[in-house]
Amino acid sequence: MGNSPEKQNNTGSSRSDFLKVAAATAGAVGLTQFFSLQTLAGKDLSGGEPSEGPQWGMLVDINLCIGCNYCTYACQAVNNLAEDMRYNVVTVETTTNDEEYFLSRPCMHCEEAPCVHVCPVGATYHRPDGIVTMDYDLCIGCRYCQVACPYDARVFNWETPVEDSPRSPSFGVQEVPNRPRGVMEKCTFCQHRIDASVERGLVPGVDEAATPACVVACPTGARVFGDLTDAHSPISKAKHEAIVTLRLREELSTAPRVYYIPPKSALTEES
Amino acid sequence: MTTHIHIPKLNVGKREIDVFPYWLALLGAGLLFGLTGAFIVLRDGLQVTGLTNQVPWGLWISIDLTAISLGGSAFVFGVIVYLLRVKRMEVIGKLSVLLGFLGYSTAGMVLLFDLGQPLRFWHPIVFWQAHSLLWEVTMCVVLYLTVLMAELLPVVLEHSVFSEHPWLKKYPALGKAFDLLHKLSHWLHSIGPVLAIAGLTLSLLHQASLGATYSVLAGRGMWFDQSAPVQFVLSAMGGGIALLFFMGVIVFRVMRPGMVDDETLFDVARLAGGVTLLYIYLRMWDWAVANYYSFDTLVDMQTKALDSISPFSLTFWLGQILLPLVGASILLAAGRVRNFRLLMIAAVFPMLAALVTRWNYNFSGLIASITYDPFTPAIRLNSYAPTWVEFAVGTLVICYWLLMFSLAARFLPFQSEGHAHAKHK
Repeated sequence: MGNSPEKQNNTGSSRSDFLKVAAATAGAVGLTQFFSLQTLAGKDLSGGEPSEGPQWGMLVDINLCIGCNYCTYACQAVNNLAEDMRYNVVTVETTTNDEEYFLSRPCMHCEEAPCVHVCPVGATYHRPDGIVTMDYDLCIGCRYCQVACPYDARVFNWETPVEDSPRSPSFGVQEVPNRPRGVMEKCTFCQHRIDASVERGLVPGVDEAATPACVVACPTGARVFGDLTDAHSPISKAKHEAIVTLRLREELSTAPRVYYIPPKSALTEES
Repeated sequence: MTTHIHIPKLNVGKREIDVFPYWLALLGAGLLFGLTGAFIVLRDGLQVTGLTNQVPWGLWISIDLTAISLGGSAFVFGVIVYLLRVKRMEVIGKLSVLLGFLGYSTAGMVLLFDLGQPLRFWHPIVFWQAHSLLWEVTMCVVLYLTVLMAELLPVVLEHSVFSEHPWLKKYPALGKAFDLLHKLSHWLHSIGPVLAIAGLTLSLLHQASLGATYSVLAGRGMWFDQSAPVQFVLSAMGGGIALLFFMGVIVFRVMRPGMVDDETLFDVARLAGGVTLLYIYLRMWDWAVANYYSFDTLVDMQTKALDSISPFSLTFWLGQILLPLVGASILLAAGRVRNFRLLMIAAVFPMLAALVTRWNYNFSGLIASITYDPFTPAIRLNSYAPTWVEFAVGTLVICYWLLMFSLAARFLPFQSEGHAHAKHK
């Protein structure tokens, strides 16, 4: 069956062929509509179950930040980073009144982290306590997380790790192993300190040894750390006392776990 | 029977020179230069590139995207030959399989160098993260490359050297091995329709997902674009088929006269033109949505910032709209134009559209990135200049493509099924 029409094709019924092809093309293009962007990229792939335990967060009071960069330096010392590798960045920004202020930016540890969604091997993942962290043994170095991050928070390890960070020992000593060349790195809220603290009965955000290095290093106390689910944690209290808090690029629905108390000059204009 | 291959000669004075050896020598020099760069990047890592934390995807990703798009004819012709059973497209379908394989293997090769950890290239296959577009693209490309190899094997084995070479009799093991390969190739040919469906599905998935790779990233402003996946599919089909027409004229009309009649080539040209017009139509609406109906100030700021340092909008209008519109219109009227030189020139523009779409897409969101400043969001212009190592690796993969294509064009018979079966009986 079907042999004779095929043979007729050989004699060149080009118009019907063309119609076939055109119909197939249209059908093929239609097929692509089945795979909606939401299905492919919208859902969360959190590494752990939504936990009953703590959810760590940070608050930065912009009014207290003096732009000294100690947070950045302490981070570099603890994570043994070279001069040009910074998980934390302090920049000078302006309010709508043209007043300058310092914006200190660690990783936002987003609840809907774009970097977690896009990682092709699951090397970037959510811990049950909300920290967005890395499995450096899985990372292939494709840098999609870096492209996806709206906060420019991801750093690639372009070079062989330094022996000793230039910030060490003035701002601290190395506390975590070096990462190999060619993987993505990131701020981990000093997860190693948090994990060690649980065994020793310390409270992150209260006890210095259990709190991220940048928070401890801040000379003005502009950074507050703690459990967002605990009403008595330092961060919950500070959030409660603040008139307004904001999160960066909230319109993207990434739900960062880093909150900011905006500069007073920005608030006066708005009210 | 063997196919008679006419080899184009260059006339210098009274002598006729076969430029093929010189061409191979040139490609060999390119490969050597490229291998030097490849060695350096594998030894020293990505610090030898011009990539930065702000522009982490550069020349290589753009070459990768372009190579994949220009291999886009293979899945279309898989469907035309095996599912729609258009017999007169059979021979040209074989060329499309070759172009597909070359495009995808080139892309895979350049991606390997782009990884920070090249030895972990297999991780996505084992450690699944099904929500990642890049994971899906990787899986599809790996699987589709397998499909293309299965489709290409019978085309390569047609060459008489694999069935008639004296060594096959002299070394029985070798003869046995090739007997098995021939049997495998027969079987692969018999499951052609299955491969065609697999190829269609995989291709549509990842050609679209390559657009989605960028377009799901809301934080990058102009990347966030719902129609990018379809743009990528259509431009890959248009550009890929245009390349097939271009190469088809060289391989068949010039080198193997009589194997594919002109009408069939005109149909390929029409198809390329038609799909490209569809792409331009969609692209125009996309432009209107993003720039005319929308009040997205950030996208507007990005466009202005890009225009201040580059001919960004000009490349859009010329490379993605006007020139492809002219080229596609000429291709669509191939039956009336009937001038192969003009048609080949016209076929360059759908390829250009595929290329410019991808290069602009990749660089626009990275070069003009949106700051996270909460009160006065701005566009920060990042700079990126590829180093010689990046150009070297680029040269390496392009020379690989050209070398493989040149060898195939010169030596593969590309016989139609009738001939192949006659030979086996």
